[in-house]
Amino acid sequence: MNDTTRNPRSGHGEYKIPGGKLVVVDLRVNEGRLKDVRLSGDFFLEPPEALDAINAALEGLPCGTDAGHLADAVRGALDADVQMFGLSPEGIAVVIQRALA
Amino acid sequence: MNETSIRSQWTDFDWQLVHPGPLMPLRHMALDQVLLDEVAAGRRAPTLRIWEWAAPAVVIGIFQSLKNEVDAQAAQAHGIQVVRRISGGGAMFVEPGNTITYSIYAPLSLVEGMSFQDAYACMDDFVLQALGDLGIRAWYQPLNDITSEGGKIGGAAQARRGGAVLHHVTMAYDIDATKMLQVLRVGREKLSDKGTTSAAKRVDPLRSQTGLAREVVIQHMVDTFRRRNGLRDGALTPDEQAAAERLIGEKFGTEAWLAKVP
Repeated sequence: MNDTTRNPRSGHGEYKIPGGKLVVVDLRVNEGRLKDVRLSGDFFLEPPEALDAINAALEGLPCGTDAGHLADAVRGALDADVQMFGLSPEGIAVVIQRALA
Repeated sequence: MNETSIRSQWTDFDWQLVHPGPLMPLRHMALDQVLLDEVAAGRRAPTLRIWEWAAPAVVIGIFQSLKNEVDAQAAQAHGIQVVRRISGGGAMFVEPGNTITYSIYAPLSLVEGMSFQDAYACMDDFVLQALGDLGIRAWYQPLNDITSEGGKIGGAAQARRGGAVLHHVTMAYDIDATKMLQVLRVGREKLSDKGTTSAAKRVDPLRSQTGLAREVVIQHMVDTFRRRNGLRDGALTPDEQAAAERLIGEKFGTEAWLAKVP
């Protein structure tokens, strides 16, 4: 988890949110921090540009960030009018942790 | 839920039917955006569009990863074009004549105050009724599936833009599940809460359930919509056709869009 090597490693996680949709993440870890975070999946998100905001919110967070803080980071990056269907900040936190496991 | 807003009724609108001949996959993608924009702008009346496919395709959702979802080599070997649509949801595999695909373009007021879940189910109520008339007991399975005792029949996806909503559905009519599983990467994780480990077993096509020709099922769906809501025969305008052509060049046919999520 506390990856301090200079060489970035990559991670891939998948999580089917119970009663929701599949959320997938591809990312890299560089000096213990999340890098090139790319969320994908068959969920619904309005407006679609919100996906970029979510990726950006996760970028650079320490790998050891707990699930609650990961979810908070996602929530904090979203405008009030953003709507998720089959996707949740908590689900995103789970998939990030799976990618790092 | 929202008592101050005014939800419109299906019968408030002058519904138009658009059902042109077979079109190429990229044309279908572009038309979804054009017609949604036209309805949002008030230039087009609310519309039901029935799709006919001129070529096989894998259509991925706007948020899906191209490389995670599609086996590019297998798709190429089968001559299947991969395209990305403007709505969320999962990948679908189509060959001419093997699915029933349609879109509804409606003012957002139709689903005003509804949860996303209710909005999805509301848009497909006419289909459940039509299938019921044909002897298929089908129901809406949240979040976005149409299912039956035999298994999943189809999936829906919505997109909102301005004051309009696009509701898009693909139902399996006579799907080649073996080929589908060669081109789509359907992982175990995706199936983990579905009570099955086989994507092929999840899908039970309409042909086996009705024994009816695809055209007969479509006609009955259209008739059901017409009886409930009113429906006038319409057509794509030359401006809409031109706008779709332009969007293929600028967006849907570009690598940037297809690999938007690589």
